[in-house]
Amino acid sequence: MSLSPASGIGRFYKHSAKIIRFVRHGCANRPFYHIVVMERRKNQHQPVIEQVGSYDPLPNATNERLVALNTERIRYWLGKGAHMSDPAAELLGIAGLLPVHPRTYMNAWRNRKAAAEAAAVEAAKPAETA
Amino acid sequence: MLRAGCQLLTQSTVAAKTGSNNFALEFVRWRRKPRWLPVAKSKLFRVPERKKQSEEERTELMRLHNHYKTQLRSVRQYLREEVVRQQETSTADHIVLTPEQEEAEFQRCVEVNNAWNAKIAKEREVRLAKEREEKVAYVQERLEAGKLREEERRERANERVRYEIEQSKTFITRENLDEAIETALANPVDHNFAIDLAGNMIKGRSTQPQSN
Repeated sequence: MSLSPASGIGRFYKHSAKIIRFVRHGCANRPFYHIVVMERRKNQHQPVIEQVGSYDPLPNATNERLVALNTERIRYWLGKGAHMSDPAAELLGIAGLLPVHPRTYMNAWRNRKAAAEAAAVEAAKPAETA
Repeated sequence: MLRAGCQLLTQSTVAAKTGSNNFALEFVRWRRKPRWLPVAKSKLFRVPERKKQSEEERTELMRLHNHYKTQLRSVRQYLREEVVRQQETSTADHIVLTPEQEEAEFQRCVEVNNAWNAKIAKEREVRLAKEREEKVAYVQERLEAGKLREEERRERANERVRYEIEQSKTFITRENLDEAIETALANPVDHNFAIDLAGNMIKGRSTQPQSN
């Protein structure tokens, strides 16, 4: 039992819609993603046209979330007119290859707001207790 | 909800659930109601509340999305042009040379070819000379063998002729026919014989060994 190779054995039509997206590998409660190019209409676990990176969303021992990108091939496929899923677009925006995705900004300001509120609550608490 | 199935489940359903990617999937759905059951009575008139989005956040997101789409469009155009440029200037699958370079390359190939031809020609000369010698020797040998064979044949024929001449002295001809008949009649020959158990030949028609 072997996985299909990352170099890709997926068959595709010349003018079909391609998309750069994640494929969830890993197992239950342990996501791990391959960033792949495949036909848009296909299920994520079909053979891919090409793997262009990987993404480990869980922080490792040194609190890093590791991403690997084959930027040359991503540029090629984007130039060929491949689409992008939203998470892939966000990741590429953070990586600096593309403009930063609006959702990244949105998450950032929501996180900032939540942190500020939490800090305010924290600040209020000692005053009440004291 | 997708989960990679546990070993037992995958063992039983591996044939049905694995695609060509050999990736086993198990759909875990036993925590909730099956899809074909109607909405629960307690949830029948529940209207899920929509998440509220503030006006300023909405406008801000709209602005950001507009910017993003414009920027992405220009990046895409750039990448498209880059791919075209890459394809035009790339020498990955073919080699581009100027006419002078091509001519020089051709001349170099011709020189190499000529040198090789000269070397092969020398070798061929030697080989052909050797083959010619061998052929001459072979023909000579065959000629001598043929001569010998002819001599032997002539010798055998002479022998035969001498033998026939020798034999011809006892031939019965028209002249000595009567004499021969007389001789034959005068000396009858009996070719009958018998053999006893010991293998002795007893000539003649008599049952007893002849005394003489």
